[in-house]
Amino acid sequence: MTRTYSLRRRLGLSLAIGVTAMWLAGALVAGLVARHELDEAFDSALQETAQRLLTLAVLDILDHEGDLSERRVAPLNAHEEFLTYLVRDQFGNVILRSHDADRSVFPAQPKIGFSDTATHRIYGEAAVNNTIFIEMAEPLAHRKEAAFEATLSLIVPLALILPFSFIGVWWLVRRSMLPVLDLGTQIEARDAGDLSPVSPDGLPDEVHPIAASVNQLMARLHKSLQAERNFAANSAHELRTPIAGAIAQTQRLLASVEDDEVRARVQTIEDTLQRLAHISAKLMQLARAEGGAVLAEAEHDLGPFLDAVVDEFHRTSGDGARIEYAPANAGLLISRMDGDAFGILMRNLIENALIHSPEGAVVKITATPHCVRVVNPGGIVEGGVLATLLKPFARGTGNAEGSGLGLAIAHAIAEAGGATLSLHSPAEGRADGFEARLDLK
Amino acid sequence: MRILLIEDDRTLGGAIADQIAADGHAVDWAMLLEDAALSVKTAAYDLVLLDLMLPDGRGLDFLRTRRSAGDTTPVIILTARDQVSERIEGLNAGADDYLVKPFDLSELTARIAAVARRYAGNPNPLINLDGNEIDLAAHTVRRDGKKVDLTAREWRLLEALLQRPGAILSKAQLEEHLYNFDAEFESNTIEVHVSRLRKKLGRNIIETVRGVGYRVRGK
Repeated sequence: MTRTYSLRRRLGLSLAIGVTAMWLAGALVAGLVARHELDEAFDSALQETAQRLLTLAVLDILDHEGDLSERRVAPLNAHEEFLTYLVRDQFGNVILRSHDADRSVFPAQPKIGFSDTATHRIYGEAAVNNTIFIEMAEPLAHRKEAAFEATLSLIVPLALILPFSFIGVWWLVRRSMLPVLDLGTQIEARDAGDLSPVSPDGLPDEVHPIAASVNQLMARLHKSLQAERNFAANSAHELRTPIAGAIAQTQRLLASVEDDEVRARVQTIEDTLQRLAHISAKLMQLARAEGGAVLAEAEHDLGPFLDAVVDEFHRTSGDGARIEYAPANAGLLISRMDGDAFGILMRNLIENALIHSPEGAVVKITATPHCVRVVNPGGIVEGGVLATLLKPFARGTGNAEGSGLGLAIAHAIAEAGGATLSLHSPAEGRADGFEARLDLK
Repeated sequence: MRILLIEDDRTLGGAIADQIAADGHAVDWAMLLEDAALSVKTAAYDLVLLDLMLPDGRGLDFLRTRRSAGDTTPVIILTARDQVSERIEGLNAGADDYLVKPFDLSELTARIAAVARRYAGNPNPLINLDGNEIDLAAHTVRRDGKKVDLTAREWRLLEALLQRPGAILSKAQLEEHLYNFDAEFESNTIEVHVSRLRKKLGRNIIETVRGVGYRVRGK
C-alpha cells in the first residue's frame, strides 16, 4: 500500500515554511539594500563634512599667519566623536586635529578621496595647491552597528508576526479544506448499503467532480442492486409458478385415482416435485443471500417482519402451532438489514428448529434489543458438528431431513447484513437443545 | 360459496378450479384483471383468490381498488414471491389471508373454509345442530356419532345456509351458489337437495319459510 499523507498538513506546512523563507530572504535583501544606502549616506556626510571643515581649517591657518605647528581643537563639551579628522601639510605634518583624533588611524601620507583601513573609512580632500590636506575618519564599527540595527528593526517585527501568520495559514488551510473533509466524512460515515447521494452543497469547484462521480456511481449501484432484487423476486416467481402448477395437478390426479399402484406412483411424483420446489427455493435464497441485496437503504425496525414470518407459520396448518412467540416490541430490532432478506433468514432458522426438534416440542422465539433467539429442545449437537453447520449442505447427525442449506442461507444473509449468527448447544439456560442466536449489532 | 379465481397460469389455475369445485364451491376463473373486474361487477362472490402477478397488472392494485370501492368480499392472495414485505403489503391492502406457491390443495381448502367461517362470524369449524356434529373444516358430518356421507351439492347447500344461521336464503340465492354444478339446472333442484339433506340429517335441520326461502336455526 502506498503511504498516505494529509493534504491539510502538507499544505499548511509548506505554506508556513514558504512564507518564513520568503520573509527571511526579504529581510536579508532589505538589510543589504539598507546597508548600501547607509554607506552612501555616511560617505556623503563624511565628504560634505570634510569639504566644509577644510575651508574653515584653511582660514584658521591663515588666521594664525601660517603657523604650521600642531594644534588640537578643544571640544566645547566632552563628547564621544564618531567623526575624527586631521589637517596635515603635504609632508604629513599634522597642523590641526579634532580632540579625539588618533594619529595611528590615519595613513602615513595623506590621500585624496575615500579609502578604507582595517577599522575606519577615511575621506581625504586637499586645498591650497595640494599643500593642506584634511582627512576625516569614521569607525567602520559604527556603520556596521547602524546596518545591524536597521536589519534588526526589520527582522524583529517579522519574527513577532510569524507565529500569528502560522496560525493564519493553519486557519486558512483548515477552512479551505473543510468542505473536502466534510465530503470525506459523508462518504466514510455511510456503510455498504447506504446509496443515497452525497450533498454537493458548499463544495469548491475543484471537488465538485468528485462528488458528482461518487453520486453517479451510487446511482448506478442502486440501479443494479434494484435490478438484482427484482431479478431474484421475479425468477422465484417464474420458477415457483410452474412447479406449483405441477404439484397441484398431481394432487388433483391423486384425488381421482383409485388404483393403489397408480396412486403410489403419482405420490412419488408429487414427493419429487415437492423436493424440487424446496431445493430450488433454497438455492434461490442462497443466491440472493450471497448477492448484494441484503442491506436496506436506511435503518428500520425488523420487528414487523419477524411478526409476519411467525404469523406465516401460524397460518399454515401443521408445525406453526408449536411456535411460542411474543410479538417484538416496536424499535427493538433496529437494523440496516433488508426486511425480506431478514424474513428469509428467520424462516430458515425457524424451519431448522421445527425440523430438528422432537415431534410436538415447542420452538421458542425471543426478541431482545438487537437480538433474536430461536431455541428448540432436542439432543445436544457436539461442538465439532456445530462448527460445520453453517456451511452449505452440512447436516447434523440427527435423522431429520433438511435441505442442508437453511443455516448456510441464514449465515450468508447475517454476514452480508452486518449481523452475527451463532449456534449454541445446549441452548442457553437449558441442559439440552439447540439455539440459533442472531445479533444484529 | 361462489368463488372468483384470478390466476393466469393455466396449469395451476386449472388444478385450483378443480379443487374448489370438488370442495363443493362454484368457481369463476379469470386470467386477466380486466376480466376479473368485469366479473365482480356482474356477480356477487363470497371469496376471491387473487394471484399477485398478472399479465395486465398487479393483483395488489386490483385489491386496493376493490377495497376503496367499499367491496368487503374476503380475498386470499396467491403469491410466488418469497418476500415477507409483499405479504405484509397484501394484508395491509385488505387481504384476509395468503398462500405461498407452491401450496398443497388441502391447505387451500382449509384456508378457504377458515376465511368463510370468519366472515360467517363463527370461526369455530365445529357446529352442533339438531343432533348432527358438522365439521366445516374437514367437510364431515356425524349424526349420533355415525359418519354421514353428503354429496358435493348437498354439502354446498348446507354450508351456504350454515354461513348465515337464522337468515332466510331465497331459492334464487341458493341456486347462485350451486349454479356451475348442473349444466341442466332443473327448476326443482333446490327442493330435491333440501329434501335429501332432511332425509340424512333429520327433518328439522332446514326450515322452509313459505314463499320466501330456507334457513337453518340460529344459535
